[in-house]
Amino acid sequence: MRALAVSLLVAVALAGTAPAQTPYYAGKAIELLVPTAVGGATDILARFFAPFLERHIPGNPSIRIRNMPGGGTLLGMNWFAANAKADGTMMLASTVSSQVAYILRNPAVRYEFRKLKAVLVNGSGAVFYASPQTGLRRARDLAGASGLTFGSLTPPGVELPALLAFELLGVQPKVVFGFESRGPIRLAFERGELNLDFQATFVYASQVLPLVRQGKAVPLMTLGFIDERGRMVRDPSVPDLPTVYEVYQQIHGLKPDGLLRWKAYAGLVAASWTYGRALWVPEGTPEEALRDLRAGVDRMTADPEFRRQAEQVLGPYPVLRGDRVEQTLHRNMTMTLDVVKYIRETIRTKYNQHI
Amino acid sequence: MAEAALQALQVFANADRLGLLLAGIVGGIVVGILPGMGGIVAVSLLLPYVFRLDAVAAVAVLTGALAVVHTSDTITSVLIGAPGSAASATSVIEGHPLARQGQAARALSAAFLSSMIGGLLGALGLTLSIPIARPLVLALGAPELFMLTLLGVSFAGSLLGKDVRKGLLSGLMGTLLGLVGPSPAAAQVRFDFGSLYLMDGIPLPVVALGIFGVAEVVDLLARGGSIAQVEGLGRGWLEGVRDVLRHRWLVVRGALIGMWAGILPALGATAGTWMAYGHVVATSRDRERFGKGDIRGIIAPESANNAVAAGDLIPTLLFMVPGSASAAILVGALLRYGILPGPRILTDHLDLVYVIIWSYALASVIGAGICFAASPALARLTRVPFAKLGAPVLVAMALGAYQASQEMGDLVSLVALGALGWFMSAAGWPRAPFLIGFVLVGPMERYFVITKNLYGWTWLARPGVWVLAAALIAPFVWASIQRLRRTRPASEVPSRQSGRRVAVDVFLTAWVTAVFVVGAVLAAQLVPGARELPLLVAGAGILLSVAQLFAVFRGHDAPEEVPEPARVRASLLLLAALAGFVVLTEWVGFLLTAAMFTLWVCLRLARMHPGFAVAYTAVLAVLVGRLASLLSLHLPAGRLGL
Repeated sequence: MRALAVSLLVAVALAGTAPAQTPYYAGKAIELLVPTAVGGATDILARFFAPFLERHIPGNPSIRIRNMPGGGTLLGMNWFAANAKADGTMMLASTVSSQVAYILRNPAVRYEFRKLKAVLVNGSGAVFYASPQTGLRRARDLAGASGLTFGSLTPPGVELPALLAFELLGVQPKVVFGFESRGPIRLAFERGELNLDFQATFVYASQVLPLVRQGKAVPLMTLGFIDERGRMVRDPSVPDLPTVYEVYQQIHGLKPDGLLRWKAYAGLVAASWTYGRALWVPEGTPEEALRDLRAGVDRMTADPEFRRQAEQVLGPYPVLRGDRVEQTLHRNMTMTLDVVKYIRETIRTKYNQHI
Repeated sequence: MAEAALQALQVFANADRLGLLLAGIVGGIVVGILPGMGGIVAVSLLLPYVFRLDAVAAVAVLTGALAVVHTSDTITSVLIGAPGSAASATSVIEGHPLARQGQAARALSAAFLSSMIGGLLGALGLTLSIPIARPLVLALGAPELFMLTLLGVSFAGSLLGKDVRKGLLSGLMGTLLGLVGPSPAAAQVRFDFGSLYLMDGIPLPVVALGIFGVAEVVDLLARGGSIAQVEGLGRGWLEGVRDVLRHRWLVVRGALIGMWAGILPALGATAGTWMAYGHVVATSRDRERFGKGDIRGIIAPESANNAVAAGDLIPTLLFMVPGSASAAILVGALLRYGILPGPRILTDHLDLVYVIIWSYALASVIGAGICFAASPALARLTRVPFAKLGAPVLVAMALGAYQASQEMGDLVSLVALGALGWFMSAAGWPRAPFLIGFVLVGPMERYFVITKNLYGWTWLARPGVWVLAAALIAPFVWASIQRLRRTRPASEVPSRQSGRRVAVDVFLTAWVTAVFVVGAVLAAQLVPGARELPLLVAGAGILLSVAQLFAVFRGHDAPEEVPEPARVRASLLLLAALAGFVVLTEWVGFLLTAAMFTLWVCLRLARMHPGFAVAYTAVLAVLVGRLASLLSLHLPAGRLGL
């Protein structure tokens, strides 16, 4: 009798967790492809998100990160476009350089962002600053300033928006190409070899603010942050500095909207900074997988532990659910041909670089 | 400060933390031993596990692994002749000949002891220089960094060998290969032949493994017998210790060179090791034994390559400018915990800085101890007929090379460069200048371009440039003074006119000439800014190689030792088999190909009993599969998806 009661209870309990409710990802694993080497910014962010997504996607899939560096991220990106299975078990982390190559229609690009579904989008901003020896006190002094030197990588990727900002504001610094990354450029600034620089906000906060306090650097402006409606607003992590948009108004007394130069600049800022990093799955991924991935992102961003750690690792930049910003993202990454042409021509005539 | 240092030491009084440090050390040792896998692989393999720990433990594990990789990589370099990591290729040149002479034990004990002392000196230097490092790093501008890369190249000059023309050609070949990939001065990719794989240049581990490792293993297999060619088990443990004591100042000099190469972002670990090696050769009176197994050529570079990683931590921690890929991963790990390297790390996280230093020091001692303990057993491997070890060694090298970018291109480059390395070795061309040219051309061109753009010609007036120029010229002046004093022996010049024409030499020289011609043609089509250096290199290469071609045809320049025809045939067969390995991997995947290759080597070269060969192959295949899944390494799957 007792045995019967127990087995009945067990049966009821089992029925309660009916298999009809088994989440899509139960017992599954996700391979997250990172097209850069281990330890790069994109890789670190992927590794930061992975354990939280494991915890919050229904069914708790395990997430394995696979790094496939090479070809300036194109190798991994192209590989994913050609080989990824659309069953929700393969995810891609796109980077700034893969998005810039796409925007500028690099002929080696074999991927199409419109054939991918965004799961999660995040980004960052950057700050321009100058040496006190330049005599610059605020951003509007840039108009008519001379003797400025600015360091850059070749070919320009993340600093493309900076070069276009100079173009927009009419600043004519001497640009020195050839650096391997922005770290050595900062060292050259500290040594006095360069006197105008821009760095990502988290680098600015940790490396440049101490210089500002010692009077060795003057903060000027931020790249700006593109909100979901496509307007440029102040950077949430450095809200006291004006954006390039404001500085243009200060100098010219007009709004830049509608100018070709402005379209090129704002599009690149959105694609390479504000929405510079995203996780994607292939088009055709089953609806229930997409639903659970989105639920996972929502639960993750609500998790107090995630919020606490994200504050430190990502700064104040929001983690956005992919489907909410997909339209904005695509709009920013699809530049009309005249804008692309303008960017290429500017870089070619001004800097003799063919991109 | 001392108080903070002692407090940090207490971190390791906790058994869990000490256990984690040990885990990092063991991980580093294993990765170091695997051919071609260095600090980057060690840190990237540990990273996913480390992120589940707290910041202090994570830092201890990663630093522990980084500290010992350059201790254990020597084992592979010395015993097998395949560089355990790219930075230990010098130990292939000096340590492996000692193993062949039955002195593996002596070479290993000298190497471990120098590594340990180099690591400890590095940790000490790190502690002492933290307060003064910032102004030091900032004192050197682009012109000085450019001069330092030139100094590195001039050190390579002492490694050219007896035949200067062959040495220069080897260096120019490496330089040309190093120019493959993005140009620092113009937005153009050079010599990529439309392949995405070549767009970022060929990875250094693949080059080091191919030029030294594949060539050496193919030669060993073709020769038959065991690695050690003489009877009697290597005693020599104490002898190695005595060697280090005798050359104690070499250890210190090596560590200092390594520290500086680490501190300056332009150079990097491999260049530091080679500079230490070049320095020893340049400053030694008797150079006869270099290249044939000179213990001094092990001591200084081994000390240097352990100090490099410590020096590298200075720009990494104080400026957030990592000097190497593995240090970049360490920065990534710190960012993950919300710890930002930079000026404030000394006030906000001084405890963590000392945890790093202590981990480094402890790991250097413990790691060297473990290697010491394991090595008598490993040294016995040099007595085993090498054919029995050949297949697993080659499979491990292919696996190591493939981790560089996980592209079939890695395997193709490995075998192609292996063939080149074999021909160079057979024709008596030195291979050290090749690797130095490959490593240094990037930073040299980059800092020249930056210097020129920033300073115009005024950079030549900087005092730092003058000091470095003096250091650059001094050895040449010294050498010519000595040459003037010495009376030249009459028989020096004509001794090489043997009149022989050696097939491998002719083939290699003709091929090299063709490569330079093709390089020049392709370089001429590049945009200004990208083409100048390639044209210069290819032009110099054409002049020298044509001269060499004449000398070779006239039989004026034959190598000292000519390999016997049977050995050449066996080597060529093996190289062909390796090419087959790559093609087969492309179609049926790595695991199946490795099994078939192993079986072939066991039956054909080791002449094993068929049943035994099958069992051996099965065990190896299972081990490779397990290792790959344990370390989450990726294996090429093959088009047929088997």
